Amino acid sequence: MATINPGFSDELKKYGAFDLNACYNCGNCTAVCTLSDEENSFPRKMIRYSVLGLKDEIEVSLDPWLCYYCGECSTTCPREADPGELMMSLRRWLTARYDWTGLSGLLYKSLPASVFAFLLLAVVVIWFGIAQKLNVQAIMHYGHLFEMAAITLVFALILLPNILHMWWLTIYKPGIKAPFTAYVKSLQDLVVHMFTQKRALGCDDNRFRWFEHFVLVLGYLLLLFTTVFLNWFETSNLFVIVLGYVESIIILMVTFDFVRRRIQQDAAISINSHPSDWFFVIWLFLMGLTAFLVRLFIDLNILETNVWLYLVHLIILVQWALLIVPFGKWTHFLYRSFAIYFHRVGELKME
Amino acid sequence: MKKKIGVYICHCGGNISDYVDVNKVREAVESEAGVFLSKTTMFACADSNQKDMVTDIKEKQLDGVVVASCSPKLHLLTFRGVTERAGLNKYNYVHANIREQVSWAHSDNKTGATEKAIQIVKAAIAKVRNAESLEPVKVKSTKAVAVVGAGIAGMRAAIELAEAGAEVYLIEREFFVGGRVAQWDDLCVTDETGKELITRLYDEVMKHKHVTLFTGAEIVENKGSVGNFQIKVKVQPRHFKLQCSGNELQKAIDICPVEVPDEFNFNITTRKAIYHNYPSEYPQLPAIDMKSCTRCGKCETVCSAVDFSQKTEVLNLKVGSILLATGFDPYEPPKGEFGYGEINNVVTLPQFKRIIHYNDEKLMYQGKEIKNIAYIYCVGSRQLNGENKYCSRYCCTSTIHTAITAKKKYKGIHNFHFNRGIRTYGKAEVRYDESSRLGDIYLQSFEYDPPVIEQRNGQTFVKIKDLLTANKELEVAADLVVLVTGMVPRKDNSIGNLLKVPKGRDKFFNEIHMKLRPVETVIDGVTIAGAGQGPKNIVESMNSALSAATKSFSLIDSGELALEPTVAEVNEETCEWCGKCDEACPYSAFEKVEKEGKMIAKVIPSVCKGCGMCLPVCSSNSIDLIGLSDKDVESMIDVLIK
Ligand SMILES: Cc1cc2nc3c(=O)[nH]c(=O)nc-3n(C[C@H](O)[C@H](O)[C@H](O)COP(=O)(O)OP(=O)(O)OC[C@H]3O[C@@H](n4cnc5c(N)ncnc54)[C@H](O)[C@@H]3O)c2cc1C
Ligand code: SF4
Ligand code: SF4
Repeated sequence: MATINPGFSDELKKYGAFDLNACYNCGNCTAVCTLSDEENSFPRKMIRYSVLGLKDEIEVSLDPWLCYYCGECSTTCPREADPGELMMSLRRWLTARYDWTGLSGLLYKSLPASVFAFLLLAVVVIWFGIAQKLNVQAIMHYGHLFEMAAITLVFALILLPNILHMWWLTIYKPGIKAPFTAYVKSLQDLVVHMFTQKRALGCDDNRFRWFEHFVLVLGYLLLLFTTVFLNWFETSNLFVIVLGYVESIIILMVTFDFVRRRIQQDAAISINSHPSDWFFVIWLFLMGLTAFLVRLFIDLNILETNVWLYLVHLIILVQWALLIVPFGKWTHFLYRSFAIYFHRVGELKME
Repeated sequence: MKKKIGVYICHCGGNISDYVDVNKVREAVESEAGVFLSKTTMFACADSNQKDMVTDIKEKQLDGVVVASCSPKLHLLTFRGVTERAGLNKYNYVHANIREQVSWAHSDNKTGATEKAIQIVKAAIAKVRNAESLEPVKVKSTKAVAVVGAGIAGMRAAIELAEAGAEVYLIEREFFVGGRVAQWDDLCVTDETGKELITRLYDEVMKHKHVTLFTGAEIVENKGSVGNFQIKVKVQPRHFKLQCSGNELQKAIDICPVEVPDEFNFNITTRKAIYHNYPSEYPQLPAIDMKSCTRCGKCETVCSAVDFSQKTEVLNLKVGSILLATGFDPYEPPKGEFGYGEINNVVTLPQFKRIIHYNDEKLMYQGKEIKNIAYIYCVGSRQLNGENKYCSRYCCTSTIHTAITAKKKYKGIHNFHFNRGIRTYGKAEVRYDESSRLGDIYLQSFEYDPPVIEQRNGQTFVKIKDLLTANKELEVAADLVVLVTGMVPRKDNSIGNLLKVPKGRDKFFNEIHMKLRPVETVIDGVTIAGAGQGPKNIVESMNSALSAATKSFSLIDSGELALEPTVAEVNEETCEWCGKCDEACPYSAFEKVEKEGKMIAKVIPSVCKGCGMCLPVCSSNSIDLIGLSDKDVESMIDVLIK
């Protein structure tokens, strides 16, 4: 027996812009959605759960992660309830639900809190730079150390526990008993999806978007690898230097295209932009841009006299690594991959 | 005996001729005695054929006509009209049905169908051979109409009739006009309140000097028939003089020791034996309810307007037509239906509307503040096991409208609609849209799986297996449960029995034909309007009121009525009055009269419908139907069994 909680839709509305109560259960969204089948009324089931405020049902569900926001449902909905945006908001809500620190929820729901956090980190970085007497070498050295520490700590303290929490909610709590081999067998899906987001290809009309996405993920991961492990800024290996340039240009181009689209609102997915979406693309763009410029300044030998550039890059990096990656939209990439993994595991459960 | 009969056999575009060989039928009947002309035609009802028939009848001097085509329900009147236009009395026309009775029924057997069609056409020819010209029965009609019930339907009809020029007696049983609409504050789909609507109508009624309004009045006797109803109207006194000061009235109400449940508020409050419904009701004069008054006389001591000497009056009125607009009662759930009468926070929709009326700041009921409201739809309508199979039509719309009103009037209201599929038809769909956008929650189930009310720890819960959530069991803790009760016929529907107006399966007054004759009843001269005929909202009630007023007026306008002459006829010589015919007649068309020293039965032609119920019960075989006599029927049977 589930108890209806009509207050939930108000809470959910803080995670996005849509008119979920307008839904009158016609099922057009389900009819048009490629993910829906006889068993699963996609996305209407989630809309219904949200209207009724059945939090328990929503938090154990992986459905929101399986949706890639092709936006067909929103275009088809006769009541303009915007089901696609609802699925997006549910992903934000779930992100907040998985996050044990509670920061995700805070940052999603409150723009002032987000702005404050971004400013705070900027101030800390500037203060640190001044404490280092604006010595480029020293700051860069610590910057590199920071990158490595951040990757390890964010993963160990935030992302890993959150993924375990996700597992607990979506596999353990609903009582899905899967053998160990299921986890091993499904690993392949995890890896493939993480890098290719293959499922999105199932959605209509967005092959190009998928391709861009794929290139971006690849570029991003490679740039991460190049800067952190190949130490791009301090290397003199020509191959690595060129590689870094190529990667940052790719990121620049793709993110530029993403921003352009959000501004022009040319697809359903781009119509409603939550602040967290803007932060994500803009920061990715800025990261690519500043990384590119930093290396360019190094090669032109003018970084010493333009320390500010590296400081800006470091600010962007710190904000990215400490806010967007653990608590912001970046996590969607992770949770989505794991959702597909858990989904696969669930399919292989013991009868 | 006729010698120049014209027979027309219709193809009905193939509907008939695909199965019946119409040429064969024509050949088979052309040599029948009296047949002068026989033709087949593609569409007998087409304009061109009607014109040809008129020419045939005129030029060939036909004296009888048969058309073999579809059901007489569709085109009997059409072809009677054709003969009339050609100058032949229309009772010389006989209709043969070879579509519904032959081609459609026997599409599997063409030979048999053709044979049957031949027989049927021959029988019609046999009948037309004996046909006689008949003249309509003319009766005088009184140019006055009695409108029963001064709800919105009755008042609207009264205005319309008076404007057209009729004398109108508007007879209202209660002491105040307005009917149900006076009980609802705001209405969908308009911004006017019920009281505003009633005020407008009442003012208009009062402007017409040809409308006489009786309140506290009821028809208690009825004699006569269309054009000439003689009715007796009993008028109860209010026991108040016309001049009455508000101050003294309040004192009288305060001092009255009798307190009874207030039906105007569906018994959620009480009133005194001296009462008025609300400060600005119409007529603006209080009344004493003599059923509960103990005649203690206390009111007389404080209010000089009280007058116990007023007497009940009985008026004799003559009217040409009666228009029934007696409205409906809200369905009263039996004790225990969804906890009604057992759980104290279960109320009906009409009660809920009154509760809203009495609460301004916060929605309170029984001392508790209400936040979560569960509405259970279709209570007393669309019943699976009960008798009320119909949809009450108004209630989905009214519930949603009321839910929106509550949500806007009070803070923090949550509405939960437990429905069976929402029927906010027409313009009311926008209300449904509005309510869901305001966050109202809709839950749906089938009639065989209704929601369940439960009480636990002093809380009321409504449970449902929700169709819209894959039959998941869901539950709401409700502060108030509102049963969306439908419409049922008036509890006291004696006026229907008095006038012998038939009731439909739903027990509301029944029209002759839902589409073709929607406001007439089988009792000539009695029309019906408003929710007394079946569930209707205000717009629909108004539409039917205007239509019934027009129909009633058409009966009395010329001062004379032409009625069908095809009625029963008594053979005065053989009749010995046994009274059996009088018992059998559903319309009371018989009178017992003296004729040459003996008592005999006499038919009142304006009342008789020619139904023939009296024929088989007459022991001396003294009754015959004009236009369908024993002789006619026997001649047809003779042909059929040949
Ligand atoms: C809870 C509720 C809310 C509603 N809300 C709306 C709304 O918002 N909008 C809308 O369009 N419709 C609404 N309706 C429907 C509306 O009430 C009806 O359409 C309307 O009342 C029908 O009018 P009426 O004149 O036919 O009948 P009534 O209003 O019932 O009036 C009949 C009159 O006849 C009198 N009478 C009865 N018997 C006799 C007799 N034997 N002799 C003399 N007089 C007699 C009665 O006293 C009464 O005055 C609502 C109905 C309900 C139950
Ligand atoms: S298409 Fe729109 S209204 Fe229809 S079920 Fe989906 S969300 Fe609801
Ligand atoms: S109008 Fe709605 S509530 Fe009323 S009987 Fe019809 S379906 Fe049920």
